[in-house]
Amino acid sequence: MSTNDKGFSRRKFLGGSAVALTAGTLGMPFVRTARAQAATFKAGVITSLSGDNILGGNLTKRGYDLWADAINAKGGVEVGGDRFKVDMSYGDDQSNPATGADAAERLIVQNEVDVLFGPYTSGSTIAVQPICQKYQVPMISGSAESPNVWKAKPEFNFGIIPSVDTTSGMSLAVLAKLSNPAAKTIAVIGVNEPFSKETGEGFRDGVKAAGLEMVAYELVPPEGDLTPVISKIAALNPDVIAVGGHEEPLINVVKTCKSLNYRPKALIMHYGVTNPAFAQALGADADGTTGVAVWLPTVPYKDDLFGTAKEFAEMAQKKSGQEPDYTEAGCAASGLVLGDALKRLGKKPALKPEDRVALKDAIAETDIHTFYGPIKFEKEGPHYHDNTQPVPVLIQIQGGKTIAVGPKEAAAAPFIYPLPAWK
Amino acid sequence: MPSRPCGLAAVKISAFPFSSRRTVAALDLFLQTLLNGLLIGGVIATFTIAFQLTFGVLHVIDFAVGGWVVLGGYLGYFMAAGLGVDGFLAIPVAFVLFGILGYLIGPILYNVRNSRTARPELMALALTFGLFTLLRGGMLTFWGFNTHSVPTALSGESFTVGPVTVPLIRVAAAVFAIAIAGGLFLFLYRTRYGLAIRATAENRHNAALMGVNIRRLSANVYGLYAGITAMAGVLMGSIYSVNPEVGLRYTLFAFFVAVLAGLGSVGGALVAALMLGVIEAFVSTYVGSSYSLLAIFTTLFLVLLISPKGILRRGL
Amino acid sequence: MAEKSVKSRLPGLLLLAVILVALALMPLAVNSYWLRIATGALMWAGLACSWNILGGYAGYINFGHSAFFGLGAYASALLMGDPFGLPFLATIPAGMLVTALFAVIIGAPTLRLRGAYFAIATWAFAEVLIQFASVMDFTGGIGGIGLPPYLNERFFYYAMFGAAILTYLLTWALFEHSRFGLKVKALRDHEPAAEAMGINTSLVKLQTFVISAVTASVFGAIFAYWVTFINPKSVFGGDITDQMVVMVLLGGLGSLWGPAIGGVALFIVNRMVWMYWGDTAFYIAVLGAAIVLVVLFLPNGIAGLFAKRAKSATVLEKAAGKLDGSGGEGGRP
Repeated sequence: MSTNDKGFSRRKFLGGSAVALTAGTLGMPFVRTARAQAATFKAGVITSLSGDNILGGNLTKRGYDLWADAINAKGGVEVGGDRFKVDMSYGDDQSNPATGADAAERLIVQNEVDVLFGPYTSGSTIAVQPICQKYQVPMISGSAESPNVWKAKPEFNFGIIPSVDTTSGMSLAVLAKLSNPAAKTIAVIGVNEPFSKETGEGFRDGVKAAGLEMVAYELVPPEGDLTPVISKIAALNPDVIAVGGHEEPLINVVKTCKSLNYRPKALIMHYGVTNPAFAQALGADADGTTGVAVWLPTVPYKDDLFGTAKEFAEMAQKKSGQEPDYTEAGCAASGLVLGDALKRLGKKPALKPEDRVALKDAIAETDIHTFYGPIKFEKEGPHYHDNTQPVPVLIQIQGGKTIAVGPKEAAAAPFIYPLPAWK
Repeated sequence: MPSRPCGLAAVKISAFPFSSRRTVAALDLFLQTLLNGLLIGGVIATFTIAFQLTFGVLHVIDFAVGGWVVLGGYLGYFMAAGLGVDGFLAIPVAFVLFGILGYLIGPILYNVRNSRTARPELMALALTFGLFTLLRGGMLTFWGFNTHSVPTALSGESFTVGPVTVPLIRVAAAVFAIAIAGGLFLFLYRTRYGLAIRATAENRHNAALMGVNIRRLSANVYGLYAGITAMAGVLMGSIYSVNPEVGLRYTLFAFFVAVLAGLGSVGGALVAALMLGVIEAFVSTYVGSSYSLLAIFTTLFLVLLISPKGILRRGL
Repeated sequence: MAEKSVKSRLPGLLLLAVILVALALMPLAVNSYWLRIATGALMWAGLACSWNILGGYAGYINFGHSAFFGLGAYASALLMGDPFGLPFLATIPAGMLVTALFAVIIGAPTLRLRGAYFAIATWAFAEVLIQFASVMDFTGGIGGIGLPPYLNERFFYYAMFGAAILTYLLTWALFEHSRFGLKVKALRDHEPAAEAMGINTSLVKLQTFVISAVTASVFGAIFAYWVTFINPKSVFGGDITDQMVVMVLLGGLGSLWGPAIGGVALFIVNRMVWMYWGDTAFYIAVLGAAIVLVVLFLPNGIAGLFAKRAKSATVLEKAAGKLDGSGGEGGRP
């Protein structure tokens, strides 16, 4: 260790700093942070702000914030004639369920939130549910779509989006009906990671009901190269290819298909297509890709806070520069559920623990119509506490824009089938 | 009647709808799979060849290799999106820009690797890991999390040779890999400076005695490696896509190819990369895509046990 | 070390006693959230120690240590579920046995490799396990496995505390204060010379490898039950091993308390940065910068700051008597 003339020892400095830092961190538990004195409702947002799921995580945060900003601009949630603002705090699950559980505990214990807004991924949601149960704090999840979330019968969790096993299968039926000449065969690719795999399985399970024959079901590792799988499928020449995965592999599928000069008659993906980053990365090559959405800016729903779906989309676009997808919308709708439940509950902040249990019961009775669509939670069955009301809309990217193409009642443009050869 | 094809092509063809054309279709798939495998190998080789130099000369396994790849990809994206140019133009820019950056960082790595602390090789690895994490965090913070693509003239283009479709951009990557390997070969074996590099890799003590400035040479080599890897990154951004989280994947593959080839062996890297590519393609097509990486990592593990100096026994 | 009198070690022992008592009483003093943090910190301190057994004392850098953590986790998850339905505590020895088996089978051939090759081979092994767990059905595939929820936070705190104490005790007994420990350190310092002195290095290495593996598996088992849900990446992932390695480096490689210091410090910093900068990815950059700074300015770890300034000769040098004082290549300052 070096010492200079003045006797300053680097070692002593570092040692002293280390001791100070240690003392500081050990003292942390005993420091109470000052809290805002105004009466507000407190909500905690758990989402993925880093790690693999950072893309989706930020979308959910945007959605929850949109609601908070909108309601606070009006003065807050209305309870018994008065208005109370909502105070939002955040926890990053680092795309990791264990960290999600930590985040939940911190928000509940440290920040004393009245309600949680749920994580982006189903894995985190499942890990957080027992924490909600333990502390008896309700959670509203604007994003989780895995059927496993609801199979666990969570008393304190409610989901806005219908789970993927219902939507992906239904969407194939819609596609098959729209195809002319009728599609007969399908190959399904699922990326072997949580949720993507369930989407793939949802497609696989919906094949029969859609009247299609499945010629291949391929589970691919997220880091793998896609040329062998695409070549194999191309050799089987199915009419439709369905892919369950998030943005990055979906982009890679399209690129790989083009580089092998292979164009199926229809390419359907679930989530990710509705994400603007997908079309931005692929440019003109994104055209023709079909996706599933439970909400679009063009759906004919509205409510008092956000107006029509279109108005919501315009507002969101202004704030973030990107058109909102259904995750962002679902998260904003979560706030509407909270606002409505608090109103019916009739209790003013600060809420006591038994009030939060009552809040949970109030949420269970939700039956509202929003810009997102109707929201009502199942009371029993495999989709317990999931909102299965919305009907999935088939969308297709045409001219760089996401357009609703089916079912017929919701279609804004004809479904392009079969897809033309690559340019 | 054509004779039944033997070997792998005979497996798993029951799904074909037209049994009278079975054997021809099976052969087509076999050929396409072989080509796919070789091209995957070529792609992997682009970012693993120069990586060998780092170990050979600096005796450091650079965890940050994936970081250089992603940086190159981002450069390609920014140039294409910002200046409207073809992504290929980013390749020489990447070499210069990241070559200089690598040249500046090299000496730090050298110092740590040759310091007198306990376990300097672990310290150097930890440093490169810290660097990689810093790069990843920085990219996430300043450039965001969205996935981007590098558009080039060859993106998505292909040509057909008989039953086989050949993606052009991957051919470009393979050509790049061969050019780099060839260029490095000429450089290492036909120039004085290359001789100095080889001497240092073999026995740095003696090389120093012969007058080689090890420190300066290490900095140059690291810069060269960073530049080449970033160039490969531009291509990766075009073939696949780029976001801050994919860097780890490239580090993983680079490490594994390096070991398979024998740490420090530049020539072995090409062979090892091709081998891994072919394994990935065939396992993916004929066994099941979910098993492809399992097969690769198992192969790596077995090679390490049976022939630790790499398949060609050229490792240091 | 044996030369130190009890008197001179008294302050250290007293400090240790105070810390242990404080830790034992912690559940009574802090709220649930901080208890959770403390539980996590204890786990990481224990894991860092486990890694240090092989990395610091034997000098073999294991880049796939999370494999053993994960094996313990999956053993508990599988044995507590259908059709076995075992109680949690019974799954721990079972997991330890399975891990020991894996360690012997993998360790025997892998330990023949040196340095970088060993590191990458162990990393490959961990990746193989991730892939295997991801594609097999009985492991729940990529979706993972859930465990029956048990929400008693004190139980888990004391479980981790107990496991950590036992791990450190074992390390102290086997590696700091026994002939076995001398053999291990001898082979770290100069393996061929140790062989020449008659030490059965293959056996010693393997034993150390197994001990390191089994201790990690215990933490994996408790972790799985604590978090109630595991999947391949969450227990076999490279980021777990990375954390362990950085913690040991930060604390001081090869020292007894280094891993504890490094483990607790890094975990707390991680959580604090996450709390205060949680809504951006900036903290990853901060972590990376911290690692770089530690390597550049604190290479012997925090423990190294408190180590005696006097040159500590290698074990071999001590055992073989005075050498000609040149210190050897790569020796400690």
